[in-house]
Amino acid sequence: MKRLLPATIVAVAALVAACGGSPDAGAPAAADQGPETGTITFTGTDNAETYQPVIKAFEAKNPGIKVTYTQIPFDQFNATMQQRLSAKDAGIDVYTVDEPRVSQLAAKGFLTDLSDLDEQVKTKFSATAYKTNHFRDKLWSLPMWNSTQFLFYNKTALAKAKVTPPTADPQQRWTWEQVEAAGRKAMQSGGTKYGLFMEQPEAYYQLQPLAESLGGGSGIEGDDALTPAVETDGWKKAMQWYGATFASGLSPRGIGGFQTGPVFAAGDVAFFVGGPWDLKIFGSSKIDWGVAPLPDFQGGKPLTPTGSWSLGINPASKQQGMARKFVEFATLDAAGNLATTSTTTIIPANLDAQKQYTPQMDGFSGTKTAGAAAITTYESEHTAVSRPVSVGYIQFEEVMGKAFADIRNGTDPAARLQEATRQLTDAWKSIK
Amino acid sequence: MRQRQGLIALAFLAPALVCLAVLRIVPAISAVVESFYTESLLRGGRVFAGLGNYTDLLSNKDFRQSVGVTLLFTVLVNPIQVVVSFLLAVLFTQRAAGARLWRTLVILPIATPPAVSAVIWSVIYRPDGLANGVLERLGLPAQPFLTSPSQVLPSLIVLLSWIGVGYWMLFLIAGIQEIPAEVREAALLDGAGPWRRMVSVVLPLVRRPLAFVLVADTVSNLLVFAPVQILTKGGPNGNSNLLMYDVYSRAYAIGDIHVAQAEVVILVALTLAIVAGQFRLLRGDQ
Amino acid sequence: MKRVSLSVLGGLVGLLFFLPLLWVVTNSLRPGSETFANLSPLSWQTFVELRPTVTNYASLLDSAIGRATLNSILVSAATVVLGLAICASAAFGLAAFEFRGRGLLFGVVVLSFLVPFDAIAIPLSTMFRDWHLTNTFAGLVLPGIGNGMAIFLLRQFFLGIPAELVEAGRLDGLGWFGVFRWIYLPLSKPALIGAGLMLFLFQWQAYVWPLLIGTDAKHILGPVALSNLQGQNFTDYGLVFAGAVVLTVIPLVVIAGFQRYFVQSVSSTGLK
Repeated sequence: MKRLLPATIVAVAALVAACGGSPDAGAPAAADQGPETGTITFTGTDNAETYQPVIKAFEAKNPGIKVTYTQIPFDQFNATMQQRLSAKDAGIDVYTVDEPRVSQLAAKGFLTDLSDLDEQVKTKFSATAYKTNHFRDKLWSLPMWNSTQFLFYNKTALAKAKVTPPTADPQQRWTWEQVEAAGRKAMQSGGTKYGLFMEQPEAYYQLQPLAESLGGGSGIEGDDALTPAVETDGWKKAMQWYGATFASGLSPRGIGGFQTGPVFAAGDVAFFVGGPWDLKIFGSSKIDWGVAPLPDFQGGKPLTPTGSWSLGINPASKQQGMARKFVEFATLDAAGNLATTSTTTIIPANLDAQKQYTPQMDGFSGTKTAGAAAITTYESEHTAVSRPVSVGYIQFEEVMGKAFADIRNGTDPAARLQEATRQLTDAWKSIK
Repeated sequence: MRQRQGLIALAFLAPALVCLAVLRIVPAISAVVESFYTESLLRGGRVFAGLGNYTDLLSNKDFRQSVGVTLLFTVLVNPIQVVVSFLLAVLFTQRAAGARLWRTLVILPIATPPAVSAVIWSVIYRPDGLANGVLERLGLPAQPFLTSPSQVLPSLIVLLSWIGVGYWMLFLIAGIQEIPAEVREAALLDGAGPWRRMVSVVLPLVRRPLAFVLVADTVSNLLVFAPVQILTKGGPNGNSNLLMYDVYSRAYAIGDIHVAQAEVVILVALTLAIVAGQFRLLRGDQ
Repeated sequence: MKRVSLSVLGGLVGLLFFLPLLWVVTNSLRPGSETFANLSPLSWQTFVELRPTVTNYASLLDSAIGRATLNSILVSAATVVLGLAICASAAFGLAAFEFRGRGLLFGVVVLSFLVPFDAIAIPLSTMFRDWHLTNTFAGLVLPGIGNGMAIFLLRQFFLGIPAELVEAGRLDGLGWFGVFRWIYLPLSKPALIGAGLMLFLFQWQAYVWPLLIGTDAKHILGPVALSNLQGQNFTDYGLVFAGAVVLTVIPLVVIAGFQRYFVQSVSSTGLK
C-alpha cells in the first residue's frame, strides 16, 4: 500500500511532463477559417467602456458575429497571455499586442501571419508602425493606437518666476538644458517643489529619446538584435544628466506608478513629460498649464517616443475568419479605428482616423491644450523613434527598467550601464 | 493491531493526500523536471540541459546577491515579527479597558488586498509622504526609505509586519489564554515582577504555539514577493531582490520558466534547511 | 494605574495600525484627483474628510466589483468548509493513530506547504486546462482545499488531546469517526478557526491563479476586479479605494467577529 503511492506519483508526473511539451515555433495559421457566425473573445488591458463603441459598430456591420471583451489587469497581462497562449488556449481569439513585443510573440508562435494585408498596412499607417509590426519580413499584427509625448508646463509658476514659457511650435522646441534652468528658477521663486518630472521615470519608453537624441542608439544592435549597446557615449551622457536631475533635487525620487501625474496636477512641479491621455486628465487640475513639444539635448536630434498597442490573432483560435474581420475593422477601417479612441484619450494609428482625431486634441482641456494637434502631427511625421525590434526585447525592458531605477536612486550611471550590459548578455544567452 | 490502525488512519488521510498529491506534489515534480531543461527560441523547442540551469544560477552574480538578501531578510524579519506578535499578545491579554477593540484594530490589516497595501505604503514612504511628514513634525531629517540601499529591507519589514503581525498575534493570544488561571495567579502571588513573570512563566508555557508561529512565519516570509514587485522591483541595486521575487520575475515577466523552476528548487531546499534548523533548535531545549 | 497605562498603550498601538486604513476610507470619500493632495504638510485633514461624497461608490455600480465581491466570498467560503473537512480529517489521521509511515506522511504534508504556490501555478494551470476546469468555480476552489499548514496546525492541536478521553469514548461504543466528530472537533474550536482563517486568506488573496485559468466576467474575483479598476496610464484612486472598502468590509467583519471565539480559553471547554 505504501509502496504503491510513490510509484503512482512518478507515473503521473511522467505523464504530466510529457504533456507539457513546448509549442511549435512560428506555426502558420490553420487554413480552416472557422465558422462565419458566432462569438469571438477579445482580451485586453483597458476597461470595457474603451472597446464598447468599436464592438457595437462592428456587430452592427456584421450581424451574426458577437464580440465578448475580457479585461485582464495591466500588470498581469503579459504574463497571463504568455501562459495561456503557450497552452494553446482556444478561448482567446483576438488580443491586444504591445508593439515592441511583436517579434517575441511571433517567434514563439503566438500570432497568426497576416502578411496578405501587407500592402494595405503600408498605405494606411505610418512607416514606423509598419516596421514595428513586422518580424522576419512577415506581418503579424495590425496597429491600433499610436502615442507621443508632450512637455506640460505650469504657467502660474513660470509667470511667478518671471520665465517665458516654451512655445508650442515643434520647430522651436526647448532643450533639456533650458528646461533644467527654468525648472530651477521655478523652484526658487515660482513656488514649486520640483522643477522637472517624467510620467514614467524608470521606463525605457520614456527614456529612450534621451539617449537617442545624443546619438547613443537604441541600446540594442547586431544582426540578430541581441547585442547590448547601452554603454555608448550617448547613453552614458544621457544617463549622467538624468541621474543628476534627481541627485540635485530637480526631480523627486521615490514617487512612482500612477502617483507621478498628480504631482503636476497639484502644482508641485514646473515641467512634466506626459502622454496624450494627460491632455484630458490634467483638465481637472486647479493650476494654469500649457503644452509644448518634447525637448531635445543641445546639439542633439529631436526625437520622440511612439507606438502603442496593436491587435493580433491567436493561432490556436478556431474562428480565424471572424477574428480577422474584427481586427481589420478595428484597424484598417478608418471609422472603426476612430471608434476605438472615442472613450479613451489616445491617438488612433490609422492615418485617416488620425487626421480626423488630431484637431480635437487642441480642445481637450479648453485653451490649455492649444497646440497639441500640431505637435502630434509633426512628431508623428518627423521625430518618432520606435522601440527596437528584437526577440529579446522583454528582457531588455526588464533589465533597463531596473538600471534606470538604480540610476535614479543615485548609482553611478557608467558603472550601472556596465552592469546592465552584463545582465543583458546573461539574459540573452538562452535565446541565442 | 497497528496495521488496522494504519488503514483507518489512511481512510481519514485519503482526501487530503489526494489533494496534496495532485495539486501540489505532482506539479512540483513537474517543476523539478522542467528545471533540467532549457528553451531555445531561435532553435525552437525544449532541450535537455542537465544541471545547466543550476550552474548558470550559481555562477550568476545577481542570483548570489539575491540569496544573500533573502538570508539577511529571513534573519531579521522573523525574530522581529515573532517578538512583536508575542509582546502584543501579552499586552492584549492583560485586563485593560478597550483591549478587545485595540486588538481588533491590529488585526484589520491582514485582509487588505496587496494592491491596496502597496499603495498605502508607497504613500507613507514617499519623500513627501506620511512618514517623512511625521519626522518633519518631530524635527528629524527626511529619510529615503525605499530608495536607499540600506533602508529598503527594514522599510519592507515594517510594511510586512503591519500586514501580518495581527495574524500571528491571534495564535499567540490563544496560546496564552490556554495557561490555566491558577498558574498566572500563582506567579502574581509570588511577587515576581511583570517581566520575570512573562519570561519564566508565560514563555515556557506557550512554547508550542510559539514554535508554530516561528515556523509558519518563516515559511511565509520566504515566499514574499508582492510588495517587492509593486514597490521596489528588487532595487535599489538589488538590495530588496528576494528570491521569490526573482523567481516570479523570471517566470512571469521574462518568461524563462526553466531557470525559474531551478530557482524554485533552490528556494525550497533553502526553506527546508532553515525550517529543519529551527526544528532542531526548538527540540534541543527539551 | 497600571491598567490605565496598559489601556493607553494598547490604544496607541491599535491607532497606529488603523491610521493607514483610515486614510484609505477617507480617500474613498473624496474625488480621485484629491487623493495625493493632502500628504504634506501632514495635517488632520489627511485623515478626515469634511465634505465626503459617495460618487466613487456610485461609480462602482458600473464596475464588476459587486459581482467580484460575491464571487470571492462564495469561493472563499466553499474553500473553508471543504478545506476544514479535509484538513481536519487528515490531522486526525496523523494525530490519533500510531502506524508505520506516519512520520513519512507527515513529512509529505509539511513538504507540500513549503512549495510556493505561485511557482507550481503554471504546470497546475496546464493540468486544469486539460481537465476542462477553466472558467469554473471548481477550478478556483480546488487548489485551496489541501493546505499543508492548516493540517500542521490542526495536528499540533490534536496531539494535545488526552488519550483518556479517547479511551473513554471508545469504551462508550464510539467508532473512530465518532471519536473524531464528537470528541476531537468540539474541543478544537480555536484550532479550527485558525485553520479556517488560513484557508480563507489563501483564497482571498488569490490573484495570479484566477488569471491563469482564465476567469471570465461571470467568475471574476475581487483582487482581479480591483486591479481592473486601474487604468493603463492613470488610476483613479478614489475609485480603487472605494472598491477596496466594498471588497474587504465583509471579511473584516467576519474576522473581527470570529477572533472572539478563536481566543476563548480552552480550559472553558472542559478539557482539564
